[in-house]
Amino acid sequence: MTEPDVREALRSWIAERNPELPPGEPADDTRLIERRYLTSLQVADLLLFVEELRQQPIDPASLRPGVFRSIDAIHSAFFS
Amino acid sequence: MEALAETVRRLSASSRRTYQNPYEAIAWPDDLDRRQWFTSPQFVSLYGTPAWESLDDDRRKELSFWEAVNFYSLNIHGEKALMEGLAHRLYQPGMEAVAEYLHHFLDEENKHSVWFGTFCTRYAGKVYPDRKVVFPRDHAEGEADFLFFAKVSIFEEIVDRYNVAMGRDDALVPVARQINANHHAEEARHLVFGRRIVQELWREWSGRWPDEVVDGIRSYLTAYVEATWREYYNPDVYRDAGFSDPWKLAREAWDHPATQGHRAAINRSCLRPLRQVGALEAP
Repeated sequence: MTEPDVREALRSWIAERNPELPPGEPADDTRLIERRYLTSLQVADLLLFVEELRQQPIDPASLRPGVFRSIDAIHSAFFS
Repeated sequence: MEALAETVRRLSASSRRTYQNPYEAIAWPDDLDRRQWFTSPQFVSLYGTPAWESLDDDRRKELSFWEAVNFYSLNIHGEKALMEGLAHRLYQPGMEAVAEYLHHFLDEENKHSVWFGTFCTRYAGKVYPDRKVVFPRDHAEGEADFLFFAKVSIFEEIVDRYNVAMGRDDALVPVARQINANHHAEEARHLVFGRRIVQELWREWSGRWPDEVVDGIRSYLTAYVEATWREYYNPDVYRDAGFSDPWKLAREAWDHPATQGHRAAINRSCLRPLRQVGALEAP
């Protein structure tokens, strides 16, 4: 997948779980956790979605703080 | 909490009467032929889906082995969080009346993790990793304790439905049947305690919480039920069982009407205690 495809897929995943999102949200740098667009209970599901986009498992023990902060952060941690 | 005192005394006496050595309770074979049932077919996550229909008997049994490794792994992770929470609450102000039973609860959960961990490491060479992450957040007074015990109750009620059925399934390899039966024997007490303490904490606190806290608790627990069930559809299992696109299979299995019906049937009885007190809304 290209970088824009990955970002759009992540954006769609967040938007599907937040139907009340204003147009244009979330932007690539939107703080997903602070804005409550992403909850702790959704992270495991998001991790599986990222694994599927990469077609490669992720070792949860390797996760560093802040990797789910924004779409930019997710892209940088798992797709760069 | 005083209303719990009699339950605590009764459960503690039962725990002492049936105290067991976790290293003697299960007969562990040196190795296991995977062409046997380790999970009852109706509790395999793909049961009733086209993927299940596509498998021959040997591959279904192989899948049932990895499903058992997942079931025991998610129990290990659930019990780690449970033990942390129980230890944190030992002799905590407001929890003095239940401290006696928290010791037994903690002790028994540790024993269960010995059984689950022994099976996973001895026969699979691994425990599946935990994907759960906790973001720190603020709570209203009494909310963290209530959520802790409500989550324990949800997790253990679901697990127990599996344990009860598989502990009686003569088609299962003996070690799997024993793990499920022994786990149920001690969990039965934990379920009684969980239902009572959830009821007591809700009665004590819910009237004092503002509406937004009560609504937040209901939303959170609804999401927790879904997150708990998601762990039963683990792509790691499907990869180890030889499926080529495990993530797609996990999504398809989750969405299939057969698995939706399975979860709904178990939720009906498992979530009743929380629905009766009002902490969860009816579906």
